[in-house]
Amino acid sequence: MSGVLSRIEACIPALRRYATALLRNREDADDLVHDCLVRALDKLHTRRDEADVRAWLFAIMHNLFISQLRRAKARPSGDPLDESHEASMSQRPEQENNLHWRDMVRGLNRLPVEQRTVILLVSVEDLSYAEAASVLGVPIGTVMSRLARGRERLRQMAAGEEVRPALRRVK
Amino acid sequence: MSGPARPIAEEELHAYVDNQLDPERLPAIQRYLQEQPEVAQRVAAYSAQREALRTAFAAVAAEPIPPRLDLEGLIQQRLVRRRGVSWALAASVLLAFILGGAGGWLLHSGMVLSTDNIALLTQEAVANHVVYAADRRRPTELGAEQRDDLARWVSNRLNHRVAPPDLAADGYRYMGGRLAATPDGPAGQFMYDDAQGVRLTVFVLPMGTADSAPIQPVNVAQMDGCAWIDKGVGYVVVGKLPAAELKRIAEQVRRQFASFT
Repeated sequence: MSGVLSRIEACIPALRRYATALLRNREDADDLVHDCLVRALDKLHTRRDEADVRAWLFAIMHNLFISQLRRAKARPSGDPLDESHEASMSQRPEQENNLHWRDMVRGLNRLPVEQRTVILLVSVEDLSYAEAASVLGVPIGTVMSRLARGRERLRQMAAGEEVRPALRRVK
Repeated sequence: MSGPARPIAEEELHAYVDNQLDPERLPAIQRYLQEQPEVAQRVAAYSAQREALRTAFAAVAAEPIPPRLDLEGLIQQRLVRRRGVSWALAASVLLAFILGGAGGWLLHSGMVLSTDNIALLTQEAVANHVVYAADRRRPTELGAEQRDDLARWVSNRLNHRVAPPDLAADGYRYMGGRLAATPDGPAGQFMYDDAQGVRLTVFVLPMGTADSAPIQPVNVAQMDGCAWIDKGVGYVVVGKLPAAELKRIAEQVRRQFASFT
């Protein structure tokens, strides 16, 4: 296996990491990666060159993820937010700069999906801002503002400064 | 630095965190962060977030790939799926040959699936030619720019080293190709067109025999071709071309394949 195919293969670990972070469920994540790879093989003939295979794959996966979300929205939304997470987080404002990663993941999961995707693509997957913009199909300015808002909200959650609009939603 | 300093943008603070900052701006940002401890604290928090998230998800990427995400396996499954589709199409093509006035050749041979190797080979080549050469939108699976990928892929599946012949000197542009399905297993199909857009295909099918057969004109329906077998590997050139030109191209293709193995 070589050329485009080996480049695709090399991206599979990163695709699994991103899918797991997005979906929080290993099985669903691998389903998404599977669909992404099948779609990529279907679209292989549309590729002109071997550049940007990684961003191309992330874009395919992002589109599949978004259409999954749309379908899921038709159903009642799943697990309500866990209040104990919030309690445990607000008790530890002193760890602001040295958060345990579990708390960080919990905080990330409470962000709107637009902010989560940008933070993951940029912070974890090392995509450039331009690549993230093309994956998500939005202008770079939008990537930057989502990144800034998401990071600031994560920071405030960690510092226990948050106004907690989420709590009100739980009822 | 001379002149007024450019103000620091929020975006630059994030670029600093993500190592995406323009190196020329690094000294200015560092100076700014020294002068603004509150901002520096905020930026440090963003960096800590970044590190925490990378740590949190690092383990997933280090795991071995589960079998269902094995790319080689996915390609195989996909071929099986395709084979189902192309068989339905090929069957309808063969049926059309039998029902239509052009079915004479097949009926004369006594049965649709002849045991004669050249006839079998020709049926497969023509069925695949009719289906794919007529496809305006997606005639090939991998285009001309993925020539090497296709050569490796088809060679692997055929367990026989092949590469798309170069027919540019004969006035035929290489368009791309695909793996095709036959009852004898996978075959390779390479497609070409001339300046008028007339398409011809070169079909390669390992026959599982040690036979050889010389280049000979073949005809199924209105489709002319030239077929031959070299050491158990069958070749067919199919296209609506004058017999003499077909033979010339077949000889050219045969030379190229022979020099390859």
